[in-house]
Amino acid sequence: MAFIETKNCTVRYSPGTPFEKEALSAVSVTVEEGEFVGVIGHTGSGKSSFVQLLNGLLKPDDGVVLIDGKNIWENPKDIRFVRFQVGMVFQYPEHQLFEETVYKDIAFGPTNMGLSAEEVNERVLHAAQLVGLPQELLEKTPFELSGGEKRRAAIAGVLAMEPRVLILDEPTAGLDPQGREMILEVIGAYHRKKKATVLLVSHSMEDVARVADRVLVLNHGEVAMFEPTNMIFSRVQELESIGLTVPAITKICKGLREKGIALPDNIYTVEQAHAVLLSLLKGGDVRAV
Amino acid sequence: MLSDITIGQFFPGNSVLHRLDPRVKLILVFTYIVAVFIPDNWLGLALSVALLLVLIGLSRIPPKVMIKGLKPVLPLLAFTSLINIFYVKGTILAEFWIFKISLEGIYTALFIAVRILCLIAAGSLLTYTTSPTALTDALERIMSPLKVLHVPVHEIAMMMTIALRFIPTLIEETDKIMSAQKARGADMESGNLLHRVKALIPVLVPLFVSSFRRAYDLATAMECRCYHGGEGRTRLKQFHMVLADYIAVAVMLLLVVLMIMTNLFSSAVL
Repeated sequence: MAFIETKNCTVRYSPGTPFEKEALSAVSVTVEEGEFVGVIGHTGSGKSSFVQLLNGLLKPDDGVVLIDGKNIWENPKDIRFVRFQVGMVFQYPEHQLFEETVYKDIAFGPTNMGLSAEEVNERVLHAAQLVGLPQELLEKTPFELSGGEKRRAAIAGVLAMEPRVLILDEPTAGLDPQGREMILEVIGAYHRKKKATVLLVSHSMEDVARVADRVLVLNHGEVAMFEPTNMIFSRVQELESIGLTVPAITKICKGLREKGIALPDNIYTVEQAHAVLLSLLKGGDVRAV
Repeated sequence: MLSDITIGQFFPGNSVLHRLDPRVKLILVFTYIVAVFIPDNWLGLALSVALLLVLIGLSRIPPKVMIKGLKPVLPLLAFTSLINIFYVKGTILAEFWIFKISLEGIYTALFIAVRILCLIAAGSLLTYTTSPTALTDALERIMSPLKVLHVPVHEIAMMMTIALRFIPTLIEETDKIMSAQKARGADMESGNLLHRVKALIPVLVPLFVSSFRRAYDLATAMECRCYHGGEGRTRLKQFHMVLADYIAVAVMLLLVVLMIMTNLFSSAVL
């Protein structure tokens, strides 16, 4: 059943001033429980506004947001409880670290939830383990950690709340390839273990292609496409017409196809391309189309 | 929320007021603020209000925005008005316990309230129609004679430019950090004073950290471009007075003269 649902949600910034801008126009989207959704769109497409709607950081000017069938703004005082269910990792989350030790910072969320001390302790250790932060780092101040470690500590702070929906806004921005890899693995592990619904906002088509089941494409505050990943990346031209690119490997395959090598048009990860090309080479069956 | 603050904001536009020389604007606003205190009669006050209304019209700033900008001074206005109503002696209209309300008191309160509104409106009109950089540039030019007295005019202006430049950035950053902490269940909207002050720590610490980081980055970036203070620095945009600027000065002088005349020929309220 639909776990997250937005109905005709419109968000305006600075209404009534010369700066008024419609960030989202009547967006209606449904996401099933346990789905892994990639959200893409270029700068100003409304993707950040869209995800902030889901945990009540933004209130829609029109329309409703339903989580598990319940309107999250039904009782504005309970919005904090919505945020416990819908965890949000912001862009550059390491900028929000503030406590004296990494441990305390990760414990901030669970403590706010009013959990018992043991429960908090258990969750902090579990989250730290999930993101691969070694025990001895937990007693350091967050400002001593390296960039990648800070990022993981910040993500652990949200994972420790064990939200049923996890939203991440550009979690791999500014990291080296190893760092990206690690973060994506952490997210994937959380998704599988907790059967959590995950929304990953990203500029990186490679990241989205690798992990998402379905991809939501936003353009000028409207839903441009919302389809399974393998369908999305076969629509190269449409994506490019709204200023987005496709993964590099998809482009390579497209180039090969144009050179007359019979490859399917829905390849979007290096692994898929590897498998297809290998079987073609082995069979010596590189047919001309 | 935080980004709704409009005081000191700049509204880009291309009206006559936007195009006036910022030096002229700055000096004229200063003159106007002093001039508002000249008249002691309704006619003189009406003149200054009239000029202000004409200027607001010319600036094409929506009246709604002007009114919104004046809202924060309302408590101050209410306070001074109350004091005036009770303290000015004269024909007593009403009396209870130790309080006496006089007709003159009400007049004075009204008069002063209008004066204060004029002051604030004129000041915000300046910032609404002048970009912060133009404003600090103008300030630097006006203060430049002080260099003789070894006042670091250029450095002061640069500091102001940087401070103004970073206000929106800091507001945005604060918004972002608050959102991030709220997403982790921070409760900033309820509880007693102590609780609320405590709730600010998760916002203030990251804000300080990022401000220092930004300051270092900016200093490095400026040094990389060989910035070394005001010595021998030339400008991309030179100010030139044009006809409109001279007309503006003439209008302001006319206003001052008219106000002094009304003081001589009209009956005083104060």
